[in-house]
Amino acid sequence: MKKILLQGTLLTVLFFGTWFLFAQINWMTIFKVQKATENTEQKLGKLFWDVFKKTEKENTNKHLKCNIDSMVSYICEANGINRTKVKVQIVEKDEINAFALPNGYLIIYTGLISNSASQEELAGVISHELAHIELNHVMKKLIQEIGFSVISSMTSGSGGATIIKEATKLLSSSAYERKLEKDADIKAVDYLVKANINPHPFANFLFKMSEKEKDKTKQLTWISTHPDSRERADYIVAYSKNIINNYRPVLSTESWKKIQSEIKKDQ
Amino acid sequence: MIQPKKFMYSPGEHEAETASSSYLMSLIAIIVGAPLPILNLLATIIFYLSNRKSTYFVRWHCTQALLSQLSMLFINSIGFWWTISIFFTSETITNKYIAYMISAIIFNIAEFFVTLYALIQTRKGLHVEWWFYGSLTNILCKSV
Repeated sequence: MKKILLQGTLLTVLFFGTWFLFAQINWMTIFKVQKATENTEQKLGKLFWDVFKKTEKENTNKHLKCNIDSMVSYICEANGINRTKVKVQIVEKDEINAFALPNGYLIIYTGLISNSASQEELAGVISHELAHIELNHVMKKLIQEIGFSVISSMTSGSGGATIIKEATKLLSSSAYERKLEKDADIKAVDYLVKANINPHPFANFLFKMSEKEKDKTKQLTWISTHPDSRERADYIVAYSKNIINNYRPVLSTESWKKIQSEIKKDQ
Repeated sequence: MIQPKKFMYSPGEHEAETASSSYLMSLIAIIVGAPLPILNLLATIIFYLSNRKSTYFVRWHCTQALLSQLSMLFINSIGFWWTISIFFTSETITNKYIAYMISAIIFNIAEFFVTLYALIQTRKGLHVEWWFYGSLTNILCKSV
């Protein structure tokens, strides 16, 4: 019996040992997995943005774009995020929404900017979306929701326009799974703190929006697609309450007021 | 890994053919059932059940063929569900996954050749015992 146990153990060790030894080799580089993934993401990002651009109106206000770009750059630089990878696009729409598309596309609706009571609230939502980009949640969600084979067919050019439209809709108006949302919230607080931006307005924004949810006349896409806003606000406050920092605004008060008034004027 | 041993009696031509068929069943099942690991086990279980009242030599080799499938079932099932999770969940391809699949392929190939060897030997009426599975079969399969 002892002999059998010893042989069984050795067989198990042999398998796990082989696995362990093979795991020391960088197969990802050998098989160029990373590069292939990046290529797929690049193609998808362009594909989605091209489709999105056709149906929505892009905001071309240079002053607004410049200020939002400054805010994104500031958060990226403070957190060591490669800014060149993040492509900020502002879309003319009343909905309170912002979302990420593959290949670092960060789409912000003018409705979100005009409905943010302070620039810190907007910075919080931007940081949350940056976290989704940095944590590779966008591709994870796509694979989970529409499958690897459909994504491959899209990038090879055989994916139908309807599928691409549906996938864009999925990314712009549905939530990530609960764990991914929480990870992005916590990461967003870290980004804000590192950039010396007060994270509490971000929590307030969620509180405020959860109250407004009852008001059906408001187009609160970002909130309705991110469930349990109150619970999220609670853990953001709990996570950030002991962090003491010298918080300061990214944009000057004049610039912030100006971009908000410009959006309201355009509407 | 595998060694020829003296069996308690010399099996007849028909016994050798049936015993070697148990390994043939494993080989076919490995090829057919590679994407669905449970098929390998099912095929050998069916063959084992249909021969459980056969002669000792046949029963012994059917049991060894069946037991040898168990470890592969375990290894292949993990590989199968890991791959499925990459396709349909947020799981991504990692170094660990590739290393696991390479290890699993190596073990499957080894199993294939050992099974092939056992098939040829038993067809000749020779008794071969696998490392670990042979000893385990000796405990589980009694002559009476």
